[in-house]
Amino acid sequence: MHFTGTQQIKAPKERVFQFVLDPNKVAECAPGFKTMEILGPDHFKPTLAVGIGAIRATFTLDVLLEDVREPDHAGMHGRGSAGGSAVDMKAAMDLTTISETETKMDWVADVNVSGTLASVGARMMEGVAHKLTAQFFDCFRAKIEAAG
Amino acid sequence: MSDETPIRGMGHSVRRKEDARFLRGKGHYIDDFKLPGMLYMDIVRSPYAHAMIKNIDASKALAIPGVLAVITGKDLDAAGLAWMPTLMSDKQMVLPVDRVVYQAQEVAAVIATERYIAADGVAAVEVEYEPLQPVVDPFKALEPDAPLVRPDREQKTNHIWHWEAGDAAATDAIFQGADVVVKQDLYIPRIHVSSIETCGCIAQFDSIEGKLTIYMTTQAPHAIRTVFSLVTGIPEHKIRIISPDIGGGFGGKVPVYPGYVIASVAALKTGHPIKWIEDRSENLQADSFARDYHISAELAADKDGRMRALRVKTLADHGAFDAAANPSKFPAGLFSVITGSYTLDAAHVAVDGVYTTKPSGGVAYRCSFRVTEAVHTIERMVDTLAQQLHMDPADVRMKNFIPHEAFPYKSATGWEYDSGNYQETMRKAMEKIDYAGLRREQAEKRARGELMGVGISTFTEIVGAGPSHTFDILGIKMFDSCEIRVHPTGSAIVRIGVQTQGQGHETTFAQIVAEELGLPVENITVEHGDTDTAPYGLGTYASRSTPTAGAATAVAARKIRDKARKIAAHLLEANPDDLEWKDYKFQVKGTPGRSVTMKDVAFAAYTNFPSDVEAGLEAVDYYDPPNMTFPFGAYICVVDIDRGTGEVKIRRFLAVDDCGNIINPMIVDGQIHGGLTMGMAPALMEAITYDEQGNIQQGTFMDYLLPTAMETPAWETDKTTTPSPHHPFGAKGVGESATVGAPPAIANAVVDALSHLGVTHIDIPITPWKVYQILQEHGVAEVH
Repeated sequence: MHFTGTQQIKAPKERVFQFVLDPNKVAECAPGFKTMEILGPDHFKPTLAVGIGAIRATFTLDVLLEDVREPDHAGMHGRGSAGGSAVDMKAAMDLTTISETETKMDWVADVNVSGTLASVGARMMEGVAHKLTAQFFDCFRAKIEAAG
Repeated sequence: MSDETPIRGMGHSVRRKEDARFLRGKGHYIDDFKLPGMLYMDIVRSPYAHAMIKNIDASKALAIPGVLAVITGKDLDAAGLAWMPTLMSDKQMVLPVDRVVYQAQEVAAVIATERYIAADGVAAVEVEYEPLQPVVDPFKALEPDAPLVRPDREQKTNHIWHWEAGDAAATDAIFQGADVVVKQDLYIPRIHVSSIETCGCIAQFDSIEGKLTIYMTTQAPHAIRTVFSLVTGIPEHKIRIISPDIGGGFGGKVPVYPGYVIASVAALKTGHPIKWIEDRSENLQADSFARDYHISAELAADKDGRMRALRVKTLADHGAFDAAANPSKFPAGLFSVITGSYTLDAAHVAVDGVYTTKPSGGVAYRCSFRVTEAVHTIERMVDTLAQQLHMDPADVRMKNFIPHEAFPYKSATGWEYDSGNYQETMRKAMEKIDYAGLRREQAEKRARGELMGVGISTFTEIVGAGPSHTFDILGIKMFDSCEIRVHPTGSAIVRIGVQTQGQGHETTFAQIVAEELGLPVENITVEHGDTDTAPYGLGTYASRSTPTAGAATAVAARKIRDKARKIAAHLLEANPDDLEWKDYKFQVKGTPGRSVTMKDVAFAAYTNFPSDVEAGLEAVDYYDPPNMTFPFGAYICVVDIDRGTGEVKIRRFLAVDDCGNIINPMIVDGQIHGGLTMGMAPALMEAITYDEQGNIQQGTFMDYLLPTAMETPAWETDKTTTPSPHHPFGAKGVGESATVGAPPAIANAVVDALSHLGVTHIDIPITPWKVYQILQEHGVAEVH
């Protein structure tokens, strides 16, 4: 599943970027965030509980930041499995200065869900995945702006 | 019981003996068994369709109180049991050592004191995967750069086998000079049998006797015992398979599933009986599938509609393991019966089996090894030809039927059809449903813009596998067996090598013996499904029980009757040659008053037998059928299509079947009703599909649509009777006729309803969405 979106964030580009590189702050926006294990500056393992309909699963995602080009671009790759389900996700964002106090974030995400979540929740999968991804980036914006 | 108790042998609608327990909820299915000290097994399954296994960490699962063991592929590998042979001479993973090849594949098993604890254990097993590219499309699987599904094989390709039948050169020659050639691609989608009872077993190992007993949902207990013995090295007399009441098989309970083997290993390892019962989603997602044939068919004909030759190429998606249970010489089953009920000068059919990252395919879902796919193809092609030539599809069929007098008939692909009277059956169906009237009604409705269609299917099946010269599974010839013991007071026990899953064997096999021996059906007990007591047989599938074990039962009974004649002669003080078997009695010819019944003879067999005759009255027969049997039928379906929703409504469906002589008409009707419903299902509702990642898209009954009473029309049935000339009592088998015959009748009816718009084919399942799109394309959809 391929999703894209754009956020306009009322904060300067550098502040947006610093927020994005802080796994603890980012993880708070992840759906069903429970715990965080930080293994290095670009390697961390958040535990997330997600569900589609009656199917719920708690994933520990193994996340690596990649292609980090401060303060314009960052990417991440996360993968995890739980019970009969697995998630594989690649995301990237590009930041553009609109003004000194406003930044545009273009994001793109490719999410592959496998196993029970995909087979039992197939009809709802795309909608739910899109919603969760959009919520994630919405949350970003809200938290950055609130921190300002 | 008095001697006046009616015999009620062949042709009586005897109420099913087994229903006394089923209707009271007193059946004995695997999950009803509880053994002392029994533990429970649940299975960790792969979320990926294709991945390497980097690590399995069971520590958290083993820390849960009540979890006693976690079994992985490496544990099995140490015992040489990580792989097992399939019934098709392929091999299949029991548990993977380093890679998974379909979503929901077994990865590890958790053994616990309670079922729920086992499930908690499954959730706590941590498996680290490295995903690989899945292989979902069987056509792309054959491309040179496709990832290998089975690197364990010597052949580094996803191609499994190529198989063909018929005469390619003769077929091509006819095509070159043909007046008319019609061509159609058909896809018969992957479907699942979805028996009410899922698969499961209880494995119990008696360490003192060294004996492994497995209570198992299997349609073929003896074959399973032999395979288990060969795989495990446990002597065959130390293995007992008990297949008790089975809640539906339909071919899905012929294969050996990994769970059976893992549970057996766990029983040996723990010393406790191990129960494993699949849940519904596991059954639907991981057990073997049916159909999944990508067919390209061409039919050559004269311009007057005389069919000349058929050419068919097929790609068969077998999933990750070739685990179908076809006879060894027939990797594509009996697909070559594709010439159907028609005289053709030549035919050629080729099938290529392909591996993909899906669960095993190839289950003969209520059909005799790929006959459904064959019948759907030829019956669609006949209609395609009729449409091309602007002829009535009934006329094209009548013109091309194998004539009654041509039987036994050698088909263009080499089968010898035993008997048939296709014209009579077709005429009966057309008259009964008023075919001419339906065509008039259709023309009137079409003029008003209403969409009504009439579809015909005049199918021929090939069942009763099979003669030992041609048919075996893993080398075991496909005979079947019966053992009869008549007790001193005139009752009997009958043990058979086939296994009922709802067919009513406890009643019909008793009726065969009642007819042959003149003993009341009530006094005959039928046993099956326990390998320690039943004679060896290959099991029930492919409509083979009556043609094989049914024949063995009649022959065994006749052996008893031959011996009984000598005892009767002794009682009547007559020469055996002077006796005749008439009205279920031995009578002195010409002296009807001087007679003895089988009950009299049975008592004498133990109390007063002649000196040159052994005591007792029993016999055994292993029946090797001389040929297959060829049941047939003429089905006519009338549909109305809702232009607002695309919904296809079956207004009438008439099934005229000919299965030769009938043992129990009520049971045959039941088989036809059930089969028609199971034929309607793939025609209109059921299909299993996968996304690009290889995830099954119909993992529950929310998305895999089984028909309920709501969707099922009132079926109309009738019969003609053309006995099999080679079967001991002229029967042919009927369990699968309707499943095989119904889908093309429905598909033909829908295409017929839309043919004036230029529609020539719709692949099944013909869902409302598919039809509505067609209506929109042709500007006839109603918009609300």
